[in-house]
Amino acid sequence: MKKTKLGEFEELVLLTVAALQQEAYGVEIKRELEARLKQKLSVGSIQSALKRMEEKGFLTSDFGEATQKRGGKRKRIYATTSYAHKVLAELKEIRAGLWDAMPRLAHELKLI
Amino acid sequence: MMPRSDIHPPEWPLRLLRFVIKDEYIEEIEGDMEELFLANVEQLSVRKARRIYTWEILRLLRPVLLKNIKSSPQFYQNAMYKNYLKVAYRNLIKKKSYSLINIFGLALGIACCVLIFMFVHDELSYDTYHVNKDRIYRVTHGESSKDGKTGPFWVWGNAPVGPALKSDFPEIDKVVQFSGRADILLSNGDKLYQEDGVFFMDSTAFDVFSWKVLRGDPKTALADPYSIVLTETTAKKYFGDEDPVGKTLKGSESSGRSAAGDYTVTAVMEDVPANSHFRFNALLSLNTFRKSRPEIFNEWGYVDMYTYFLVNDQFNEAAFKSKIPDFIKRNIQYPDSRYTIAIEPLKNAYLGTDADRQPGETGSMSNIYVFSVIGVFILAIAMINFMNLSTARSLERSKEVGIRKSVGADRRNLISQFLGESLLIVCLSTVVALVIVVTALPYMTDFIGKEFAIEGFVTWQNISFFVAVMSVVGLIAGSYPALVLSGFNPVMILKGISRSQAGGANMRKGLVVFQFSLSIALIAGTIVVYDQMSLLLNKDLGFDKEQMLIVDYNYDGAVNNKSQALKTELEKNPSIVSVAFTRSVPGGYYPHAYTQIEAPDGEMKGQGQPIFQVGMDFVTHFGLELVAGRTYSKEYPSDSSKALVLNESAARQYGYTDPKQIVGKKFDQWGRAGVVIGVVKDFNFTSLHRTIEPLTLPFEPYACRYMCIKVKSAGMRETINAIGEVWKQLAPHRPYLYSFLDDDFERQYKSDLMFRRLFTTFACLAIFIACLGLLGLATYTAQQRTKEIGIRKVLGADVRHIVALLSADFMKLVLIAVAIATPVAWYAMNQWLQGFAYRMEIHPTVFILAGLIALSIAVFTISFQSIKSALMNPVKSLRSE
Repeated sequence: MKKTKLGEFEELVLLTVAALQQEAYGVEIKRELEARLKQKLSVGSIQSALKRMEEKGFLTSDFGEATQKRGGKRKRIYATTSYAHKVLAELKEIRAGLWDAMPRLAHELKLI
Repeated sequence: MMPRSDIHPPEWPLRLLRFVIKDEYIEEIEGDMEELFLANVEQLSVRKARRIYTWEILRLLRPVLLKNIKSSPQFYQNAMYKNYLKVAYRNLIKKKSYSLINIFGLALGIACCVLIFMFVHDELSYDTYHVNKDRIYRVTHGESSKDGKTGPFWVWGNAPVGPALKSDFPEIDKVVQFSGRADILLSNGDKLYQEDGVFFMDSTAFDVFSWKVLRGDPKTALADPYSIVLTETTAKKYFGDEDPVGKTLKGSESSGRSAAGDYTVTAVMEDVPANSHFRFNALLSLNTFRKSRPEIFNEWGYVDMYTYFLVNDQFNEAAFKSKIPDFIKRNIQYPDSRYTIAIEPLKNAYLGTDADRQPGETGSMSNIYVFSVIGVFILAIAMINFMNLSTARSLERSKEVGIRKSVGADRRNLISQFLGESLLIVCLSTVVALVIVVTALPYMTDFIGKEFAIEGFVTWQNISFFVAVMSVVGLIAGSYPALVLSGFNPVMILKGISRSQAGGANMRKGLVVFQFSLSIALIAGTIVVYDQMSLLLNKDLGFDKEQMLIVDYNYDGAVNNKSQALKTELEKNPSIVSVAFTRSVPGGYYPHAYTQIEAPDGEMKGQGQPIFQVGMDFVTHFGLELVAGRTYSKEYPSDSSKALVLNESAARQYGYTDPKQIVGKKFDQWGRAGVVIGVVKDFNFTSLHRTIEPLTLPFEPYACRYMCIKVKSAGMRETINAIGEVWKQLAPHRPYLYSFLDDDFERQYKSDLMFRRLFTTFACLAIFIACLGLLGLATYTAQQRTKEIGIRKVLGADVRHIVALLSADFMKLVLIAVAIATPVAWYAMNQWLQGFAYRMEIHPTVFILAGLIALSIAVFTISFQSIKSALMNPVKSLRSE
């Protein structure tokens, strides 16, 4: 776990990429995440997160088709690596474990 | 809505993006940005979409996405350059002595060049500060002889030529005239000084010359009689920190120009720049002169004026010159007058003039050439050192070249490496050179007798010129080694087959010969300059100049009236031999006079020649030798106006081969008539650059300017003080200004002495740098031959034999250099000697001596190394393999 160093925002981006599958390119990731988080995100923040994660080995990428909308430029489609899936699963487990460890009463009291 | 193709994202953020974002990301990000932009355009306004676009791009500037300088492809090149630098540094450190010789020698050469360049630059900068410098001309006056040639021209001439030019030529805008250099005694209260550098100056001066007036109005400053303009320094001398404008200075009479009076200070100007062909401490208005002597301003024969003029666009020099004869005809009424004028542009006034009677000092173009050539020589010698040492060491570097080539360096890389190395060394040398220049500069001022302003020298042009020259030096010095080294065949080198360096060795020998030829020529030149100067300084001039104290009282009438009293009073002092009064002193200034003397055929023959007006005892006092007749004497009352003494040359000029025959002939000079009473032997009354001219010595006891006192050498200081006491008693209103005649006379050789100093110094430097190179080369060859020497010693060679072996090669080169240098130096020095009327013969011993000096210096230099290697233990040198 120590070595993965996946930030909170990075984790969100990674999950979005995993969810979007073939549609996972810059603009779509941004749109999806903005809709879910209900806040504006900058291209810069998304892009730097993507590049960082690619360097760390969570993502691979490849050029997709070029469209008119993009002034003839190709998309770069991102895909999660199996390593990323493993790390995401670990993170989910850790969180689930922590949720389970939380005393029910305390949880319920908080809700009141 | 607008058609889609017309809507573009803003240009500059996109360009910024392309410039800073990593190339591999640019397509994706650019595409994303464009897609978002178009989406925004559809939802929002175009303007807003653009704003968002720009903002987003700025937010894209994150370290992860930016181009990384370290990871660019240049990285590998940098590594190579780093390696070049490292290798260069290691080479410098490893061979400290070579590096030192290279850098120090080159630095000395560069420093010499810079100093010489500064000198030349300063000489060439004369008068260039005038805004109108290209439009200022001056009149020179001369006489055309019957055969159409014109005689020597004078800058100093008559007054009416100025107004006449102004009215006859519409192309002349302004005329400015000023008197000859005047001396005047100025006083403000108890502050009393004799000002030697003042001019009576026209009111148009500030329109023509660009002198900056600090206080007062330049338009009117020199308009009224008895106005005076002071330079800043002079103003400070008389008034301290007060504002002098409007105050008055008491001025004495200026002989022949103005009566004594109170001068009103009308303006203060900046000190005249050092690079002006004439300088002064103060300007008096020309109208002061005009008021005292109005008649001379219409007299074409009276000479006491310099005339400069400012021309306008219509001026054409050739056309102007063609109009001069008519101009002369219109203005000069005498039909047989041979008077004519010529014009000279201001830019020639300092270096390009051969006219006499200049208002100030002039420079010498030939000195500039000589020093420029010496500068180039010295730099060449230093560069040759560099080339020689690098090629000699090429064998050591050949392994490196071989490896570099096998690894893949091509020839171009190697050439640039070696050129870069030489540029690096030139850079280091330049730094050292600048340090040398800065330390040497204060001494230079003493050396050449004028101030160097470094501020005026540091300009962008000069700096870029300097950088360019240094780069060229680096490239030339580095080119030969670079081309030789880069041409090596790597296979041969790495196999260990060291090619014989025959070509390189010959080249080196040639360069050494060249270096030493230059050095020997310079040494021979120095010897000639020295001999010639000692000839000048020690020649018997025909008069007594030793221990002669001269007191200058500037024609003061009150002093002249007391001359007899002064003489008697002073001659009471046992340390004073005799006292005499005279109007000028040898080496000083002489007026010219038209003199008629009865020729052998009985006709009166007229000639113009300098006159040396003297008092009663002049001839005996100065130890002049009388060859015929007698000198002036109190026993003949008629001597005061009816007698004339002249020199042998003058006797010859009037057609008498035997001076005795001219005695008793009639003469007529400046309104005096009588008979010639005596002839003195020719004496050198001017510098030895000139032959002895015909001279007359008329008797003029009441128009004297100098008191000459022959003193005994013992107790000089007390005697000077004693004279000062007597002076204070009898002439209290005059400052006691004394000097020694031999100093004054030698001052004429100031520029010659400067030439000698500079020449000697640079010649020494040249030979020193050449020897540095020789030392390096000798050390190198000795190292190369360590094994050979070892084997020779083992086989029984003794030390003498080995020293001779090592020295012989170089000795041959020096001898060849002597053979080359001799004719060149002989020719060059003969040219230089043409400037002297009295010159030494160049004896062959000069060259033998120069050759011997060079040879012994070379032997001395080489012996350091050759003896060291000859004494080495052969076991040591043979053991290591």
